[in-house]
Amino acid sequence: VTLSEGARAGTGRELGMLDSLLSLGGLVLLRDSVEWEGRSLLKALVKKSALCGEQVHILGCEVSEEEFREGFDSDINNRLVYHDFFRDPLNWSKTEEALPGGPLGALRAICKRTDPGPVTIALDSLSWLLLHLPCTTLCQALHAVSHQDSCPGDSSPVGKVSVLGLLHEELHGPGPVGALSSLAQTEVTLGGTKGQASAHILCRRPRQRPTDQTQWFSILPDFSLDLQEGPSVESQPCSDPHIPPVDPTTHLTFNLHLSKKEREARDSLILPFQFSSEKQQALLRPRPGQATSHIFYEPDAYDDLDQEDPDDDLDI
Amino acid sequence: MAAVATCGSGAGSTGSAVATASKSNVTSFQRRGPRASGTNDSGPRLVSIAGTRPSVRNGQLLVSTGLPALDQLLGGGLAIGTVLLIEEDKYNIYSPLLFKCFLAEGIVSGHTLLVASAKEDPANILQELPAPLLDDNSKKEFDEDVYNHKTPESNIKMKIAWRYQLLPKMEIGPVSSRFGHYYDASKRIPQELIEASNWHGFFLPEKISSTLKVEPCSLTPGYIKLLQFIQNIIYEEGFDGSNPQKKQRNVLRIGIQNLGSPLWGDDICCAENGSNSHSLTKFLYVLRGLLRTSLSACIITMPTHLIQNKAIIARVTNLSDIVIGLESFIGSERETNPLYKDYHGLIHIRQIPRLNNLICDESDVKDLAFKLKRKLFTIEVDFIS
Repeated sequence: VTLSEGARAGTGRELGMLDSLLSLGGLVLLRDSVEWEGRSLLKALVKKSALCGEQVHILGCEVSEEEFREGFDSDINNRLVYHDFFRDPLNWSKTEEALPGGPLGALRAICKRTDPGPVTIALDSLSWLLLHLPCTTLCQALHAVSHQDSCPGDSSPVGKVSVLGLLHEELHGPGPVGALSSLAQTEVTLGGTKGQASAHILCRRPRQRPTDQTQWFSILPDFSLDLQEGPSVESQPCSDPHIPPVDPTTHLTFNLHLSKKEREARDSLILPFQFSSEKQQALLRPRPGQATSHIFYEPDAYDDLDQEDPDDDLDI
Repeated sequence: MAAVATCGSGAGSTGSAVATASKSNVTSFQRRGPRASGTNDSGPRLVSIAGTRPSVRNGQLLVSTGLPALDQLLGGGLAIGTVLLIEEDKYNIYSPLLFKCFLAEGIVSGHTLLVASAKEDPANILQELPAPLLDDNSKKEFDEDVYNHKTPESNIKMKIAWRYQLLPKMEIGPVSSRFGHYYDASKRIPQELIEASNWHGFFLPEKISSTLKVEPCSLTPGYIKLLQFIQNIIYEEGFDGSNPQKKQRNVLRIGIQNLGSPLWGDDICCAENGSNSHSLTKFLYVLRGLLRTSLSACIITMPTHLIQNKAIIARVTNLSDIVIGLESFIGSERETNPLYKDYHGLIHIRQIPRLNNLICDESDVKDLAFKLKRKLFTIEVDFIS
């Protein structure tokens, strides 16, 4: 199954992949750019997981809390647990409500929770964290958070942890982006054409081939996800213009083609080292380690099978 | 170099042969020097450690890498005291299989294992090792796998060159039960084999507390801890001859997974000119020093496609002994190329060591492709390119 086949899969499966992003767990990387922003998709996924009854924690570093909560209903807003690092990132006001250890400390505190159940952590944004923390520390913390459920600890079984990270890929070089994408279980790259947004989803399951597909979608004003079919195909230009394949045998001074009669004559030609069917069978059979060797003799058309000794006629 | 000559072993086969000969007075030749049977240091003997054999070319003691086809390409196996570096493929699907075959070979041969990882718990890695194919039906399964693959289409093609139909795709010598085994990738290794084996695990998040401050130092703390751990194991279990081993001498197989990734605390994958860009090269240098003075062999998988500074890759290649690169076709344009439809990727052998030699033991085939069939991982010569 090649990667492109996944894109042509049935619509039932296609619609399911964007919906089931959170069910796989682990780190989900949302890569956006200036043209196609990802915060609305992040908020749509947050709303979906809140409606499913999961615990949702938001680490807000890039935009203010009011701006993030804008557009959500009140019941969803009541379910979100918001950790604000935008207003006072370095904790200069030294209030008690600020969590020690900065954003990473907040992440670890979420991991040490005691109540079971699936948890979704939304990082807004990973770019902010990459610019303020060393990349290796961030990778180690993300790995520890997203793999917590796989290694059984000493406490009660904790539920699955999903980490949604918003990454502005134009802000970083290939190094940090490559390191984070190698850690991620799912990578969603936002793009689109002509006003229609698309998400290219690459799903890496451990020890299996990665699957990918492209899903066209749009975000409604109340941050629900609306999955759509792609734009019409004929408006897209062909990627490679149709070039008729050049036949190299057209303008030669000698003839390379065989007519049907010539082909039949060639097939019926007896080869000099004739490969008879019994020799073929004897050779292709797996050798049982025979000690004797066989001599296969098929006489040519020119062989003389006369048993008399031709040298008898010599008169010396 | 822990070569054959320096390891004296008690019950060598030649020693017993000479002893019986002298008892029966068949020969009048007397062996010079003290001949106390059953003690150490009785002169150069053939070392009879299970799962090893001396190389037929230069006498180095070899261990199997777990894949007999790979052993053939490396000139018989992996020499003791050397490092096998595997450059991971892009989505890290096939390099863990080579890693696990190496460890599974160690368990089947009875060697001691040391598994180090920053990503997975070593106990989980050991649970996922492939099951060995037993001797009586392994050859049969392998043969029928190859046979089924070859006969349907090869009958049609070879009309003039029909002698080449029987040429095997890869020269694999007979697999003896003591060196080199085939592994079934779809089954897990039996639990009793794991419990009977002696293994040590190093899981980085457990060894380093999360609030550790990083002091400016030449090696990242993760690497320092790992080197200390390896050194402790080698010293305590006597792989370097410091504590005389009362039991039979054994080989230590070290496996390090994803070395150089950010999870080890190394930032060569994140930045081009990091703060400690020499950390990995110093680690490899110290590791090779530890290996050369002990009876151990090491396999390392490294995500070189993530390393930003290409000079580091060149240095890492020079500091390792054998370097093999895996390039899988997933996601590249070669996946739909009809020439490569039978294979899952290419194997590039980037470096082969010259151990006490002037020339290295390279095979004459350079275009190698691998495929992971339902059960077996096979390496074949790519006849197309």
